[in-house]
Amino acid sequence: MRDAYIVTSVRTPGCRRNKGAFRDTRPEDLLSFILNAAVEKTPGLEKKDVDDMMIGCSFPEAEQGMNIGRIAGQMAGFPIEVSGATVNRFCSSGLEAIALASLRVMSGWSDVTIGGGVESMTYVPMGGNLPRPHPEWTDEHPDLYTSMGITAENVANRYGISREQQDEFAYNSQMKAAKAKAEKLFTEIVPTPAVRFVKQENGTYKKETFIQDFDDGIRESTTMEGLARLRPVFAANGSVTAGNSSQTTDGAAATIIMSEDKVKELGLKPIAKLKFYTTVGCRPDEMGVGPRYAIPKLLDKAGFTIDDIGLWEINEAFASQALYCIRELGLEKYMDRINIHGGAIALGHPLGCTGAKLCATLLANMQARGVKYGVESMCIGGGMGAAGLFELCE
Amino acid sequence: MKRKIRKAAVIGSGVMGGGIAALLASAGVKTLLLDIVPFDLSEEEKKDPAARNRIVQFGLDTIKMSRPAALMHPSDVNLISIGNLEDDFDKLAECDWIVEVVVENLNVKRDLFKKIEPVRKPGCIVSSNTSGIPLKAMSEGLGKDFRQHFLGTHFFNPVRYMHLLEIIRGEDTLDEVLEFMARFGEKRLGKGIVWAKDTPNFIGNRIGVQGIVKAMQLMVEMGLTIPEADALFGPLMGRPKTAMFKTTDLVGLDTMCHVAKNSYDLVTNDEARDDFIVPEFVNRMVEKKLLGKKVKAGFYKTEMSPEGKLVRKVINPETLEYEQYGPVGFPCMEEAKKCKTLPEKMKAILYGNDKGSEYAWKVVASGLIYAANRIPEIADTIVEIDNAMKWGYNFEMGPFETWDAIGVEESVARMEKDGMTVPEKVKKMIAGGNSTFYKVEQGQVHYYDFGSESYKQVEASRDAISLPVIKGTGGEVKSCASASLVDIGDGVFCCEFHTKMNALNSELIAFMHEAMDYVDENGVGLVIGNQAGGMPGAFSAGADLKEILAAIGQNAFDDIDRMIDSLQSAVQRERYSPFPVVAAPYGMTLGGGCEVCLGADRIVAHAELYMGLVEIGVGVLPAGTGCMNLWKKMTSGIPESVGDADLGKFFIPTFMAIATAKVSTSAAEARANGFLGPRDRIVFNRDNLIGEAKKEVLRMVDDGYAPPPEKPLKVLGEAARGMVNAEIFNMKSGGYVSDYDAYLARRIAYVISGGDVRINSTVDEQTILNLEREAFIEFLKQEKTVARIEHMLKTGKPLRN
Repeated sequence: MRDAYIVTSVRTPGCRRNKGAFRDTRPEDLLSFILNAAVEKTPGLEKKDVDDMMIGCSFPEAEQGMNIGRIAGQMAGFPIEVSGATVNRFCSSGLEAIALASLRVMSGWSDVTIGGGVESMTYVPMGGNLPRPHPEWTDEHPDLYTSMGITAENVANRYGISREQQDEFAYNSQMKAAKAKAEKLFTEIVPTPAVRFVKQENGTYKKETFIQDFDDGIRESTTMEGLARLRPVFAANGSVTAGNSSQTTDGAAATIIMSEDKVKELGLKPIAKLKFYTTVGCRPDEMGVGPRYAIPKLLDKAGFTIDDIGLWEINEAFASQALYCIRELGLEKYMDRINIHGGAIALGHPLGCTGAKLCATLLANMQARGVKYGVESMCIGGGMGAAGLFELCE
Repeated sequence: MKRKIRKAAVIGSGVMGGGIAALLASAGVKTLLLDIVPFDLSEEEKKDPAARNRIVQFGLDTIKMSRPAALMHPSDVNLISIGNLEDDFDKLAECDWIVEVVVENLNVKRDLFKKIEPVRKPGCIVSSNTSGIPLKAMSEGLGKDFRQHFLGTHFFNPVRYMHLLEIIRGEDTLDEVLEFMARFGEKRLGKGIVWAKDTPNFIGNRIGVQGIVKAMQLMVEMGLTIPEADALFGPLMGRPKTAMFKTTDLVGLDTMCHVAKNSYDLVTNDEARDDFIVPEFVNRMVEKKLLGKKVKAGFYKTEMSPEGKLVRKVINPETLEYEQYGPVGFPCMEEAKKCKTLPEKMKAILYGNDKGSEYAWKVVASGLIYAANRIPEIADTIVEIDNAMKWGYNFEMGPFETWDAIGVEESVARMEKDGMTVPEKVKKMIAGGNSTFYKVEQGQVHYYDFGSESYKQVEASRDAISLPVIKGTGGEVKSCASASLVDIGDGVFCCEFHTKMNALNSELIAFMHEAMDYVDENGVGLVIGNQAGGMPGAFSAGADLKEILAAIGQNAFDDIDRMIDSLQSAVQRERYSPFPVVAAPYGMTLGGGCEVCLGADRIVAHAELYMGLVEIGVGVLPAGTGCMNLWKKMTSGIPESVGDADLGKFFIPTFMAIATAKVSTSAAEARANGFLGPRDRIVFNRDNLIGEAKKEVLRMVDDGYAPPPEKPLKVLGEAARGMVNAEIFNMKSGGYVSDYDAYLARRIAYVISGGDVRINSTVDEQTILNLEREAFIEFLKQEKTVARIEHMLKTGKPLRN
């Protein structure tokens, strides 16, 4: 198979569900904007060159329904011939989309593809608008539908992750993010138009547009004491709080993938290649352990050990599961390589967008630090893990 | 001009001002709440509107957070706007009623009124909520129009819950203004109006504080302990559990002492003026800031032991140290506990042979004499004094009712023997052959009027219907031990429950059928309501668990099944009979009591409504149509044209209400919970409830009432099962529910969702009723349900097993 090159990888800011800057911005608008931005940031690329786009989305219904992968492409002004699909593997959807888009190029079936992700958790809540677990199956197996918070409690309880450890991890995530924001290190963010409905003097409302250029869930003022004061939200005597869980977030991200021929034709300098991608299942009621199994599987395929990886983006669905995976993988000695600009606890976890968003972040950091190999991994609702290995182009 | 309160203003945002503003807002009155600009602002802050409103903002925040809730629904707060007395004073010009609730200082109040006078619009009513400052002094020097619209409106704390509103006429107040405010207070705010005179501390606090301080003095004198005094003056005497000292802790020792001192200073001619001198140790407590509940230390204090247990302590009046105490009692209390009625209990306490009895007698006797001597000084009639004590201090009986209860002649003889000075007018009353202060004649309650030395009829509101009075005049057309059917006029009958806590039993259910047969034959409509006493009282606390437990013990499940079937058909008849049925719930309306209401054509509810389907607490489910009718009530508002509405959105709150035994904290919240529908009404005054329900029946009759056709219900079917399975799993994992809760909840979901049918099916009402009954019987056969019932009967609290 031939190589597939990532030439552009960008994202919108991640903004808080219901309270953040994107609360009135439709997911199609976030996605079509970032698709456009990705094309614009790729010199010489014309929209008609794109063969297909794969868009990750965890709850592809309502505003995100009707195949948002097609709708947003059209809204972004791609020619009618440029097709699009929606890809769903919950929290790894965005990475899954990039993997599928890469495979299309690697197989020789396409020359240019886009992989991306979108989720407005404001418009479509987690679980979707009409959750309908199966009646008979759930008589015996309700665990397949375990709420994410309970899975985090289970990981904490079963594997001994303390409240203090979780809070400390959450605190560090916030501090790293705050520092990166202050130092303007989120170079993968494209300032994004957002809308809000503003009451006019005559009492009617008007849709107004403004530009949002930062992740609005970062809490610079976070303290250990403040985190310690929060009550557990999922279990009566639990340890998982709003402070040590990922934030629910709105956002979109896009990555452009090309064959070597196309890269040369346009005279581009490629950023990286997605070398391997893998997924694996685990117990649904402790889905957070997913990366602990997906990462070894991935490294095995590549013939690598953890020591070969210069940067990690391990999605912080919950501090408990992230800490557990880090501990089990022997990564504690590399804390300075993991989520260096903070993770989902500070930056948010827009479900189906996350895989694509973390790709943009990881590649930006690999470029900035000149790191050769980076891994992105996450746990997945229903009990799975996913991991992808990126190699920086010389 | 037709007088209206379009907007009211409350000046002063402390506990009382905030409470009044919250009540007004809950009653739907737009309210402006004002307070002073803080004195200690920096130059910078003086320009900042938020800083200038800091005090009133704190008052508003307190309203929102206060527990028990000051507001009947959190959204009521939107009717309150805030401001300060410098920047927003002119807004008072928009108000039709301004009530002053500022610090109890004559000069401050006087200055405020002087400022209000030029701003208020003509005709605007201005009142003071002072508890002790004479109106006369406050309105001195103000113009005629102001004085004509000036009066006292004295609320009691907590304003929402205390029924009493004392209205005090100023020197020049117009009759029209007084009548308007009395009517507004009664109808809109739901208060019990007592006409007080412009005398120190008016009625409630004058009589109440004399009683408390006298009790304190005698306690010290006779060497009783604080817990002993409180034990004597609790429920056995028809008083609140907080009795004397705990009540003072709640009110605040400083407040109580202030009222006492104010009385002492002003009542210079009072024969019992010394009764207002608080014992030395209480003054020392105030100096030491041991002020009661607000500082967590008063006469009582709850401490945490090193083992983390709560230890209740009481102050030692000599050392002012807190000491542990155990149960206390006197032989007279043991005797009283054996008695059934309150008068018997009171007699047992007051006419006993021990030190406790001697003490209680001295306190009560001095109080009775004091009250009698205050007429006509503070009130024209004994009724005002009795009502003030019942509504403002939660006494079951006021002084004169108490006097009747313990025997007027008997007690007067003892007073004289003890060397007390019995008021001449009381002796004269007895000499005239009148041995009671109250009597019922031709179904009407009459009171003895000292002025005319004759009995006069007790006046009731024109909207109030009194079931005891009607029953007294032969208006009871049917009755059994558990219920009565009362003719409340114009062809309307009232089905009155009168079991303990108005619990439903098989006799009562059978009676409901008989009552509806009777109304079908002889009447135009039915009200289901009662007037049992208590704060908040119980319209009906649910099914009679004793009866059910006995039936389980005899394995009489067929009998239970028949009883449930009979209850279901009785409630269904409420809806489908050819005459309108209106339920009039108040206070606790739980389980079966709630089902009886949900089934009615309409509900006319008291604003204080604690309504819920709480059956899961005793291991069962609502099986008297509750599951079906709550689902129906939740979904009946969906127009047919909406088609496939997502029933899941309606299912979740219905299921959660039943599975978590959700109880409303007000009628407004019951409406928000879906238990009251858009056509159900909320009435603020409980005394008017039956009367308003009757009006509702007559309106429906007048509109040409026809029973609704029975239509099948759309249900969520098996989709509910998956949803609930998944959610219960999460709740169980989180440690929020037990296995047995989970078992009950799943079955309840099955019933509400119509059983084994596909999503969005339609089923007959009877289908759900059959599911209710089946589940009910099955639950009763479970050991853990029996344990829950037994535990509830023993402790009054639900068992989580």
